[in-house]
Amino acid sequence: MMVLSIRPLTESRFAGEVSGIDLTRPLSPDQVAAIDEAMDQFGVLVFHDQHFDDASQLAFSRNFGELEVSSGAEMSKAQDRRLPQMEMADISNLDAEGRLRAASDRMRLTALGNRLWHSDASFRAVPAKYSLLSARTVPGTGGNTEFADMRAAYDALDDKTKTEIEDLVTEHSNAYSREQIGFMKADYGVENQLKLKPVRHRLVRYDPRTGRRSLYLSAHIGAIVGWPVPEARMLIRDLIEHATQRRFVHAHVWRQWDLVIWDNRTTMHRARRYNDLTDVRDMRRTTIRGDGVTVAQIQEAA
Amino acid sequence: MHIRAVQNDFVGEVTGIDICKPLTGDDVAAIERGMDEHAVLTFPDQPLTDEQQVAFTENFGELEITLAGQMAKPEERRFQQLVLGDISNFNGADTTRLRARDDKRRMYALANRLWHSDASFRAVGAGYTLLHARIVPGKGADTQFADMRAAYDALSEAAKNEAENLICEHSIVFSREQIGFGDYNPGHEEHLKPVPHRLVITHPKTGRKSLYLSSHIGGIVGWPIPEARAFIRDLTEHATQPQFVYSHKWRVGDMVMWDNRTVMHRATRFDDLKEVRDLRRTSLKGVGLAVKQAMAAE
Repeated sequence: MMVLSIRPLTESRFAGEVSGIDLTRPLSPDQVAAIDEAMDQFGVLVFHDQHFDDASQLAFSRNFGELEVSSGAEMSKAQDRRLPQMEMADISNLDAEGRLRAASDRMRLTALGNRLWHSDASFRAVPAKYSLLSARTVPGTGGNTEFADMRAAYDALDDKTKTEIEDLVTEHSNAYSREQIGFMKADYGVENQLKLKPVRHRLVRYDPRTGRRSLYLSAHIGAIVGWPVPEARMLIRDLIEHATQRRFVHAHVWRQWDLVIWDNRTTMHRARRYNDLTDVRDMRRTTIRGDGVTVAQIQEAA
Repeated sequence: MHIRAVQNDFVGEVTGIDICKPLTGDDVAAIERGMDEHAVLTFPDQPLTDEQQVAFTENFGELEITLAGQMAKPEERRFQQLVLGDISNFNGADTTRLRARDDKRRMYALANRLWHSDASFRAVGAGYTLLHARIVPGKGADTQFADMRAAYDALSEAAKNEAENLICEHSIVFSREQIGFGDYNPGHEEHLKPVPHRLVITHPKTGRKSLYLSSHIGGIVGWPIPEARAFIRDLTEHATQPQFVYSHKWRVGDMVMWDNRTVMHRATRFDDLKEVRDLRRTSLKGVGLAVKQAMAAE
């Protein structure tokens, strides 16, 4: 198998910078396998100078599995979408006409939820595997993406906490993360309410390929099965604070044409602030669907 | 009386004084100077009674009544005296039992684990808070304090300018709603209404600026709510970095006193369904900021 040239960006092997590969050209199965292998080891891989357009990003992404439909695209009307492909998530501050979004724009306000630590699509019963984010236009300052290592964060818990949380099942919904910043469930519109129904996930995930456990945390969590809600939310807040201590975090400073891949099963991430009313930030995200549920889903409560 | 700096100019430990006894004017002045110089003072080994704690607190100003007490039904309260805050996990007056897991008072109190400044939901927030330890659990339950003066000083010039004239809206509803609690007894709508405070305040005595942050903040005047909340979260994260934080490990008889105009604090987790934790709180109205705050509201 081919070996990728990877320079670790963190003390532990969490974020790595890969060089010597052009991802916009068709890859050999060996190259795909090498990236998968490196993702198992690292969690976050950075590739500079990858001049993707939407078609080549979609083609590259399909090497790693089935693509998810973007939840933003799926919950908006066709005339409000800037990007035609439903699998291409529009991570920008631009409207359908390519103009900067106004301060009170509903899409801008819901996107602010990305500044909370989360794992992409943890609100789906089958949640995301990789996210691939391509930087087409970057702002002058700010707008970093930060990543937190959920395997290292799990390993650093004391044994008592590990035992306490091992079998906990959490409930995730996009509405829970947005509600934390005062964007209410009703604001999604009547047509989207069903998509906001909470799904269940294990709090601790085990990966048989690597033999490692990770904390499956996300701002989308609103409850723990069997726990009073306030107690659940306080535990989740405490765990997120633990898991996002500086020693577990890598901040990525974007350059145009960077492609960053992360594994949502082993990392959390968040966007940082920038002058989004004056500077353009145009990123495109593709997302690979995971292999299955983390825990059995419950039918409507009897 | 001697004050030993525990954490640079933020926390001091006071010894050589018996605060259970009436204080002289000089003692009071020395403690106030210590509070201005630091922002948190600890007094170990002070076996205060409730009456002595109230008397000691009265040296520094007018006592504040606790909102939890004010909004509770008499039968839900442990103390009928509303200036005495019950910071315990007892089932009200029945101290043979702990609060049940889903007890409403327990749910309400869990929000004390969010960083806050006491009574920032009142038009005039609290000045000093005094917390005295009667029974402490075996493990956990530290109280953490964050220095809002140092946090302000550490902001970039651009961030200071941006924050300088912002007015935040505070309500007890905003902090509780973050953890999904909203079960208030009826008839207290007045207490739940948001009040405005400046984000950057100037201490009336020292002239130092500090960030007046609190989990009770739910909005910034003139800002869309999600943007305000994301901004306040970022600032709170900045202000509670390890270099600004002191963790107090309680011992029975500890009295800790802090200035809510310059300090945020929070409780931390312990096994509250099995172990007893019994602390008593008194606090003072935050006189000195009243005028500036009223101006902020206009």
